[in-house]
Amino acid sequence: MSDQPMFLLTIISESVLEDTLIDEIGALGALGYTVSDVRGRGHHGLRRGNWRKDSNIRLEVVGDQALCDRIVARLKEAYDRDYGLLMFTSPVDLRN
Amino acid sequence: MSFEPVVLFFLLGVLAGLLRSDLKIPGSIYDALSIYLLLAIGLQGGVKLASYPLAAVLLDGLIIVAAACVIPLVAFPLLRSLGHLGRADSASIAAHYGSVSVVTFSVGVTFLGQELQDYEGYMVVFLVLLEMPALVIGILLARYGQGKVSWGRLLHEVFFGKSIYLLTGGLIIGYIAGPGGIEPLDKLFFDLFKGILALFLLEMGLVAAGRLADVRSYGAFLVAFGVVMPLIAALGGTLVGVMLGLSVGGTLLLSTLYASASYIAAPAAMRIAVPEANPALSIGASLGVTFPFNIFFGIPIYYWMARYAHGIGM
Repeated sequence: MSDQPMFLLTIISESVLEDTLIDEIGALGALGYTVSDVRGRGHHGLRRGNWRKDSNIRLEVVGDQALCDRIVARLKEAYDRDYGLLMFTSPVDLRN
Repeated sequence: MSFEPVVLFFLLGVLAGLLRSDLKIPGSIYDALSIYLLLAIGLQGGVKLASYPLAAVLLDGLIIVAAACVIPLVAFPLLRSLGHLGRADSASIAAHYGSVSVVTFSVGVTFLGQELQDYEGYMVVFLVLLEMPALVIGILLARYGQGKVSWGRLLHEVFFGKSIYLLTGGLIIGYIAGPGGIEPLDKLFFDLFKGILALFLLEMGLVAAGRLADVRSYGAFLVAFGVVMPLIAALGGTLVGVMLGLSVGGTLLLSTLYASASYIAAPAAMRIAVPEANPALSIGASLGVTFPFNIFFGIPIYYWMARYAHGIGM
């Protein structure tokens, strides 16, 4: 890993987009990711998570500022209008 | 006419949802139940298909698919003109109603079992064939050549999504194995079918309860559409069934397929291909209105239609 400050980019979106988002972040240079199934409420209503079409995913990527910016810009442009999408970053201290 | 008790499990699920019971079926169990149902339906169809000439079945299938293409083409202008819905929403709902519901079909099959009414076992082939064409029509209606559609991803989602994949896989395995070969598996896949369907309907009830709460906001038009559209489609199914010389049971299943609205394959496909359409409208109408209507009232009505059309009387 580089000496640059690292960030955890968390993306919460619809399960139906899982494969698409993974392809997108891979193409933008993310080396790895973690996905979990989650549920909750947001602008697009309650997502109970009790069946696949009604659940959300949380996609987490660790990378430098530039990578996070690229991913956020691309996903905002392509998916923010029509899909439930929430993205935020937090600084992380990588220990290995 | 006897009553099919498995549908009561759906009601049990709806009540649990409305009464805010803590009943919840974990997502992994839902997945397991749906995998079981898809494989079991495919296998049952495949075993029975083995005793029919494949070419004749596929020829019937072509006619059935061609006739089914009319459903979204009737639904779309109705939604546009009477419902005053936008193009994307109308096209998405039309696609849901043109496509089919595996669980509604399964309830139709158990209904025929209850009535001791035989049917052509290869009806499952039509279930597989009918899932996709309406989705393509819906996308074309939404786009009219404008805007780009990621067809590759969409076709992948439809053909390799678990419903078509497992139904077709089950059909092929059942066809190759035949009645003798499938015997070691029949305790699991045939005898337990109704019980597993009951559990699945319980879960469907829970999911539908979440949608029922929104039904008020859809407006009266969409609720009326969710009841009238399946009746129109079932009438078409009855006519095609009689024309093709299907039995009373086969005619009932065909009209049930025409009347059913997809709430698994279509929402995923439309979310990818027509993302600007509001999924709450289409899933709400198909799952909150049409699915319960079909399993409680529709199937007995379509049975009556099929008997009437075959001259058996009321």
